[in-house]
Amino acid sequence: MDNLQDILKQQIIDALNLEEIEIGDIDNDAPLFGEGLGLDSIDALELIVLLERNYGIKIKDPALGKEIFKSVNVLYDYVSKNRTK
Amino acid sequence: MNWVRIRKDSIKINGTTLPTNHCGMEMLKEVYKQLIGGYPKFFKMDALCRLGFIASELLLQQESPRITDTERRAVILFNRSSSLCDDRSYQTTIQDTEKFFPSPAVFVYTLPNIVTGEISIRNKYYGETLFCVLDKFNANEIFQVVKESFLDSMTNDVITGWVDCESDDDFEASMILVGPNDPDFNPDFINEIYKHN
Repeated sequence: MDNLQDILKQQIIDALNLEEIEIGDIDNDAPLFGEGLGLDSIDALELIVLLERNYGIKIKDPALGKEIFKSVNVLYDYVSKNRTK
Repeated sequence: MNWVRIRKDSIKINGTTLPTNHCGMEMLKEVYKQLIGGYPKFFKMDALCRLGFIASELLLQQESPRITDTERRAVILFNRSSSLCDDRSYQTTIQDTEKFFPSPAVFVYTLPNIVTGEISIRNKYYGETLFCVLDKFNANEIFQVVKESFLDSMTNDVITGWVDCESDDDFEASMILVGPNDPDFNPDFINEIYKHN
């Protein structure tokens, strides 16, 4: 798997135990929270930990988290520009 | 009185074995997929909550009609290992100071009474919830606590039992739904279900 969007999807699936979801089920532009995957606030915290652990990105402003977790594509853009590892 | 007995390699409902192809956590997932489904939060739960959830679902599937959205049903559970299984998982996320990434999703399950909340949320129960950690299985103590729960003017019935989880592959549960005047509800009956093979 060399496509960062697919890697992010798989990491989201693994981190959030989305066992009934596969990479192909996640639309790159669909909202991750609310109607999309139906994620909740604990999931958001888990994604913040994921970004720090895997990409060295520290999210200190919760409002920023709300922005970058809008969709896989938005997350992909942010990670591509800000990753330190 | 309906009852469910789950061991790491078998499940019985009112004395009848539920056919399964797996053991341990895979058995619980198998039952979820085949007989329950439609509740993705199951996969986010820790092992103790998955065990309690599956036991309660199988128990409540025997109830007709299934009662939900009530203040009059309590959930009172007991075990020996508290939330140790998830506590260990959480510890692995903070063990290494060089890779210190505490997991919020694991942390939220580091209390045993979360399982009573999960069952209540699932079924929209707003009655009493209680989780007691005992030295070992004790039918008399379980009986007394449940009996006393009927002293209030609210509780019509109680989902109760033993839900103990050492690990993903080492767990047991026995669960019943009991009313205040069930003639069969006594320590011997609780013991009988617990020891049922």
